Amino acid sequence: MAKPHVIVIGAGSTGSATAHDLALRGLRVTLLERGEIANMTTGRNHCLLHSGGRYCVRDQESAIECIDENMILRRIMPHALELNDGLFVAVDDSDLAFKQKFIDGCEACHIPWRDVPVAEALRMEPNLNPKTLAAVQVPDGVFEPFRFSLAFVATAKKNGATIRPFVEVKELTRAGNAITGVKILDYRTGKTETIGADLVVSAVGPWAHEIARMAGVDVPVLPTAGVMVTVNRRLNNMVINRLNKPSDGDIVVPQRTTSVIGTTSWTITDPDQIDIPKEHIEMMLEKGRELIPDVAKCFTRGVGAAARPLIRKANADERDVARTFECFDHKFDGVEGFVTISGGKTTTARAMAEKVADIVCRKLDVQAQCRTKETRLESYRRYYE
Amino acid sequence: MLDVNVKVFRQREGQAGHFQDFKVSVPDDANVIDVIDAVWRQDSSFMFRHACHHASCGTCAVRVNGYEKLPCIYSVKDAMAGRAEMTIEPLRNFPIVGDMVVDVSGFFQKQIASDMLITRPAEKTLGGEAYERSEVFSTEGKLEDRAYNRFENCVECGICISACPTMAATDKFFGPAGLAAINRAYQETSDPAEREHLLNLADDENGVWRCHSGWECTEACPQNVDPAGAIMSLRRRLIGRRLKGIFKLN
Repeated sequence: MAKPHVIVIGAGSTGSATAHDLALRGLRVTLLERGEIANMTTGRNHCLLHSGGRYCVRDQESAIECIDENMILRRIMPHALELNDGLFVAVDDSDLAFKQKFIDGCEACHIPWRDVPVAEALRMEPNLNPKTLAAVQVPDGVFEPFRFSLAFVATAKKNGATIRPFVEVKELTRAGNAITGVKILDYRTGKTETIGADLVVSAVGPWAHEIARMAGVDVPVLPTAGVMVTVNRRLNNMVINRLNKPSDGDIVVPQRTTSVIGTTSWTITDPDQIDIPKEHIEMMLEKGRELIPDVAKCFTRGVGAAARPLIRKANADERDVARTFECFDHKFDGVEGFVTISGGKTTTARAMAEKVADIVCRKLDVQAQCRTKETRLESYRRYYE
Repeated sequence: MLDVNVKVFRQREGQAGHFQDFKVSVPDDANVIDVIDAVWRQDSSFMFRHACHHASCGTCAVRVNGYEKLPCIYSVKDAMAGRAEMTIEPLRNFPIVGDMVVDVSGFFQKQIASDMLITRPAEKTLGGEAYERSEVFSTEGKLEDRAYNRFENCVECGICISACPTMAATDKFFGPAGLAAINRAYQETSDPAEREHLLNLADDENGVWRCHSGWECTEACPQNVDPAGAIMSLRRRLIGRRLKGIFKLN
């Protein structure tokens, strides 16, 4: 029997990692993307390789996923990561009161941590707020989201996957209650074509609802936007986080010669039409200054926002085959051959891909184990070979 | 809000290119990428590349009013200074895929030749001080004493290729980014065999000797990589190697 053909819609981090996982398991894979690889949600994220520290108090399941994936990514894409760790820094009494909870959270989620004496933290990061009251070091890292995704896509391509950027899915084709492929518009030529598939995976993040609607089903994804403000100097070597519960402007991530301050959160209706509120930009600079006062001496170099997929948890039922990773097998909605994966974080893209690929293989009766934990990824540049 | 008249280059596969006029409205402090995005919001068939919006991915490079720019860090106010309209075109010296999108595969193949790593040692703060070395977590999550790293300055945007007059004459030229990458890789290694290999790559009729020393690449580079300086540095190393060879012969 010929290898089953799977179409993956969306080449952000999740779709890219899914194409890689499926290609490695020997399936025939076509990855479709409306624009360039990682041009939307993934492209405009924090650039943060999470240690899990951000979630270790209130969302320990996510924190454990993050630290486990962090350690795997260090092995499979070592040359695409900046590994200078992160500091969780207390600058007021409320932060200081959070410290023990944070350390307990790290312990509970097996996140390695080190209590760094303030004087040492200030030597390590000379631009840190001199009023720093405490600092805890964790294995955060930094990636560059476009190249992060390209590394997965390059490896998928080497393993036979077909990658088609600049094509938009306009329809899902169906026979009875089964999805049989997609109808696409190729923007390079202006022509439409139909591609058949044994199964279609929707990995379009905050657009999940729109693709699902083409199949006549619903997924509980709520697009929420977040802003990132980049200043013109690299002010920190390590990732600097606010030692407190997650909040607006709680992180400064270094990226090349700049620093990226993030982020805020507001609900939007259309992920294609995001207008950035001016006060969010000002708030980022203000909160950034609390961690690193020299933000005030910088000018703003770039401002970006993208929609994130937030999963509505209220209607958790049997459709929600794996809540942690927000993977939906639409056979529970009466539609065969169609699976949606959404939510999550770029740091956990590989794990999300593993989960959805397990479901795909089970549905297609393919016996193949996941090998992405051990498989070192190609250089991102090899996408262009 | 700023109202901007923008003239945008359009091209589909197998068709002739032309300009199309758009009127868009963007916030006062917007960058040119927001103008491009606003055009796409009006016409979703408009093709362009972008990702980070902070000059790290290098995908969005285009020509604005005839000059190579990263539109994500180029303000609309600057781009419109003294002008009634803005012109946006794709980079030169690359095959056009459609509209603003160019085929960068030839460029990346040249980048592969030097195998320059995306990361480099982070030996200095931007203030010029040495970082205090400390313990850092390893791959296994254990503390170890090792150097910090950071991402390379070059974002592989292709702006230097578009600005380079030699590239316009021949696409066989390694190009400013490729040669700068060879120079970076040379600086990063102390292995004599690897250094020899890198110098041999540069010492080619399509390598450093093809460069016309016009410095347009260094002028246009949004990341201060100084490709022309890197080319001159490689030339000095190659001349030094030749002189050593001559003295050995005698």
